[in-house]
Amino acid sequence: MAAGVAAWLPFARAAAIGWMPVASAPMPLAPREKRRTQDGFIIINVSGTKFQTWRSTLERYPDTLLGSTEKDFFFNEEINEYFFDRDPDIFRHILNFYRTGKLHYPRHECISAYDEELSFFGIIPEIIGDCCYEEYKDRRRENAERIQDDADDENNKEGVMPDMTLRQSMWRAFENPHTSTLALVFYYVTGFFIAVSVIANVVETVPCRASPGMIKDLPCGERYALAFFCLDTACVMIFTVEYLLRLIAAPSRYRFVRSVMSIIDVVAIMPYYIGLVMTDNEDVSGAFVTLRVFRVFRIFKFSRHSQGLRILGYTLKSCASELGFLLFSLTMAIIIFATVMFYAEKGSTASKFTSIPAAFWYTIVTMTTLGYGDMVPKTIVGKIVGSVCSLSGVLVIALPVPVIVSNFSRIYHQNQRADKRRAQKASKEAGQAFLSKTNLSFEKEHHHLLHCLEKTTNHEFVDEETYEKNCMEVSSVNPPGSRCSSISSQHGLTSTCCSRRNKKTFRLPNSNMSGSHAGSLQELSTIQIRERPLISNSRSSLNAKMEDTVQRNSEHPYVTSAIISIRTPPVTSPEGNNTSDSPDYSQRNIVKVSAL
Amino acid sequence: MVGGGSFEFEGLQTIGIVCLVCMFLKLMHLLGLINFTDEDSSESDLELSTVRHQPEGLDQLQAQTKFTKKELQSLYRGFKNECPSGLVDEETFKMIYSQFFPQGDATTYAHFLFNAFDIDRTGSIRFEDFVIGLSVLLRGSVHEKLKWAFNLYDINKDGYITKEEMLAIMKSIYDMMGNYTYPSVREDTPFEHVEKFFQKMDRNQDGVVTIDEFMETCQKDENIMSSMQLFENVI
Repeated sequence: MAAGVAAWLPFARAAAIGWMPVASAPMPLAPREKRRTQDGFIIINVSGTKFQTWRSTLERYPDTLLGSTEKDFFFNEEINEYFFDRDPDIFRHILNFYRTGKLHYPRHECISAYDEELSFFGIIPEIIGDCCYEEYKDRRRENAERIQDDADDENNKEGVMPDMTLRQSMWRAFENPHTSTLALVFYYVTGFFIAVSVIANVVETVPCRASPGMIKDLPCGERYALAFFCLDTACVMIFTVEYLLRLIAAPSRYRFVRSVMSIIDVVAIMPYYIGLVMTDNEDVSGAFVTLRVFRVFRIFKFSRHSQGLRILGYTLKSCASELGFLLFSLTMAIIIFATVMFYAEKGSTASKFTSIPAAFWYTIVTMTTLGYGDMVPKTIVGKIVGSVCSLSGVLVIALPVPVIVSNFSRIYHQNQRADKRRAQKASKEAGQAFLSKTNLSFEKEHHHLLHCLEKTTNHEFVDEETYEKNCMEVSSVNPPGSRCSSISSQHGLTSTCCSRRNKKTFRLPNSNMSGSHAGSLQELSTIQIRERPLISNSRSSLNAKMEDTVQRNSEHPYVTSAIISIRTPPVTSPEGNNTSDSPDYSQRNIVKVSAL
Repeated sequence: MVGGGSFEFEGLQTIGIVCLVCMFLKLMHLLGLINFTDEDSSESDLELSTVRHQPEGLDQLQAQTKFTKKELQSLYRGFKNECPSGLVDEETFKMIYSQFFPQGDATTYAHFLFNAFDIDRTGSIRFEDFVIGLSVLLRGSVHEKLKWAFNLYDINKDGYITKEEMLAIMKSIYDMMGNYTYPSVREDTPFEHVEKFFQKMDRNQDGVVTIDEFMETCQKDENIMSSMQLFENVI
C-alpha cells in the first residue's frame, strides 16, 4: 500500500462508525496505540548539504539505513545532526524515495556511483519506478558489458597462460588469430584458399575457346577438368583439415557442431565428398549438379574473417520477424492482384495469364515497378487493374519502406523492452516485497479495521483454499455444527485472515488480546499467534480443533483460561446475535481478557 | 461465343469497378476521412485538472472543528499528499477506500460514504468537508455520531430510512467482504440482516426508521454505545 494511502487509514477507521449500528456482533477492541510522540524534525547533513524531514517519513521503510536504528551510528552530538559523508546530489533522490514512495534514477548520474549510494543506504534497486527502470537496466547492462570487455581484454593481453592445455591454446588460436604468428598464418592461408575456391567455381563456368577439333565453346571447367579438379581437391583438403582441427579444439564439441559456422563448413565441403562417392550414374547426375551449387556457400566462410558480415547476419536474424511480416503483407497484395488480373484477362485471346500463379510473376514485376514487358494485359479491365497494381506497388513498396524500417526498429526495441520487463518481473517482485514492509502499527490498525468489518457482518475473511474446502464441507457438516465450529475457531481464523497477510509482516497481535496491559501477556499472545498459521485449517472435526489449541495453551496458563472462558457462551446461544444476555456476557469476557 | 464473351466482359468490368471503389474507400479510411467503426479517438483531451481548491484558514477550521492546530496540520499534509488539487472526486475516493479492503469490492460503500461527507453535494470533497466529517466521527458526542450514521444510511436524505435504502447499504457492506468468507455470503444474507435491523429499530412498525426511533434504540443498546467510543484515539 502506498505510503500516501497510509495517511488515510485514520479516516477509514473513523468511517467504520457507520457500521456500528448495524453490526451483528460486538466489536473487537482497538489496538493499543503507543502514544505517538509528536512527529519531530530530523536533520540530515550530507557533506554539508542539510536535508530536513519528518521522522515518520523515514520510518516508513524500516528496512533501510535511514529507517532503522542504523542511522544512530551517524549521529553527531556536536552538531546534533545525522552526518553522512556521501554525495548530496544522489542523496536527494534517496530522500525523495522516502517522501513519495517512488525511486527515480537520474539520467545524468553515473550508474556505478548511483548503485553504490543505493547499497550504502540499504535500498534495493528493483524498486525503481517504471518511469526510470528501463533506463537504469540498460545502463547497468552497458556497464556490465564494459566491465566484461575489459576483463576479456585483460585475459587476452596476458599471453599464454602456462597451464593451458594444447587443446585450449589451439582453440584460442582459432578464435583470436592475432595471438600468435602461427594462428595468423593459418588465418591468412585459409582466407586465401577460400578466395581461390570461390574464384575457381566462378571461372569454371566461363566459356573458354574451344580446343581445336571442337565446334562450340566449352566452359573452362570441362576443358581443363583435371586442373580444376586438383584445385578443388586441394581446397577441400585444407577446409577439411581446418574443420577437424576446430572440432578437436572446441571446448564444447556438441555446441560447436550445432553452431552456424560449422554448418557452413560442412555444407561447403560435402558436395566434393558426395561427388567422390557417387558413380557416374545418369539418374543422380542431376542431383549431383545441384549439389555443386552448395559450393558457393564457401563464400560464407569469409564471415569468420569479416566482422561486418557477422554483424549483418546478426541484424538480419534479429529483424527476421519484421521482415517476415513485410513479406506476408506483400504476398497478400500479390495474391489479390494476381487473382483479379487472371479473371480480368481470362476472356482475351492468346492471353499469357494462363493461371493465377502465372499472374503472380506479372504482379510482382509490376508492383516493384520493374515492368519487364513479357506479360502485358490486353483487355481494358486488365489494363485498369494493371495500372492500379503498379500505383499501389509504388505506394506499398517504395514509399513506406524507410518508414517501415524505422518503425520496425522502434517496435522491435519496444518489444524487447516488454520482454525484458517480463523477464525482470521476478526481481521486481522482490522489490515489491521490500516496499511492503510497512509500519507495524499501520498493519495492526488495518487489521483491526478489517476485524470490525467481520464482526459487523458476522462473516469472516478466509483465503481461497479454505474457502474451497469449506464449499466441499458444507454439504457434509450439519448447520449447527458448522456454526459452532465457526465461532469457536474464530480465534484460529482471525489469525488465518491475517496469516495470509502474515507472509510479509510477522508479528500480529490477536485483537481479542490486544487490550492486555501486561507486556508479557502481549508477548505470549504474539508467540501463540505466530504458531497459529502453522495449524492446518481442517475444520472437519470441532473437537480436534479445541484440543489443538488447548494443548498448545498448556504452556501459557493465563491464555488458556481466557480462551476457554470465551468459548462457552457462543456454543449455548444459537445465533449469538440479538439475545440480550450473550452480547453482555461476551462483552464482559472481552473486558475480562483485558483485565488479565 | 460472342455473347458469352461480352457477358464475361461485362462481368469483369463490374469486378474492376468494384475493386476500384473498394480501394478508394480504403484510401479514404486510411486518410481518416471516413470512420467505419466506432473508434474512440484516444487522442481526445488530456483533461487538465485546472480545478484547484484552497482550504479556509487554519483558525476558521479550528473554530469549526474540535481538532487542535497540530492535528489539522498533519491531517492536511496527508490529505494534500494524496490529492494535490485540494479536492477529492468520487473516483479517487473510491480508489483510496478500496485499497483498505483488498478482498472485496468497496466501491458501492465508498459511494455512500462519499455522499455522507459531501454535505453540500458539490460532487467533490474539499478539505473542510473532510475535516468536519472527521471531527464529528472522532471528537463528536455520541448523539452527533449517531446522527452522522443515520445520515449515512438515509441515502436520499429525506429523514427516513426505508428498507430499500438499508438493503442497499447492507449489500454494499457485504460486498466489501468479497467472495472468500466463512460462512459464505448467501443471496439473502443482506436481506435477513436488514430484517433484523428493522425489527430492532422500527418501533411503530411502519416500515421506515425515523431519526428518533434510531436514536432511541441505539441509546438503549450497550453494544452500539460502547463501540461508538472505539475510535477515539485514531488521530
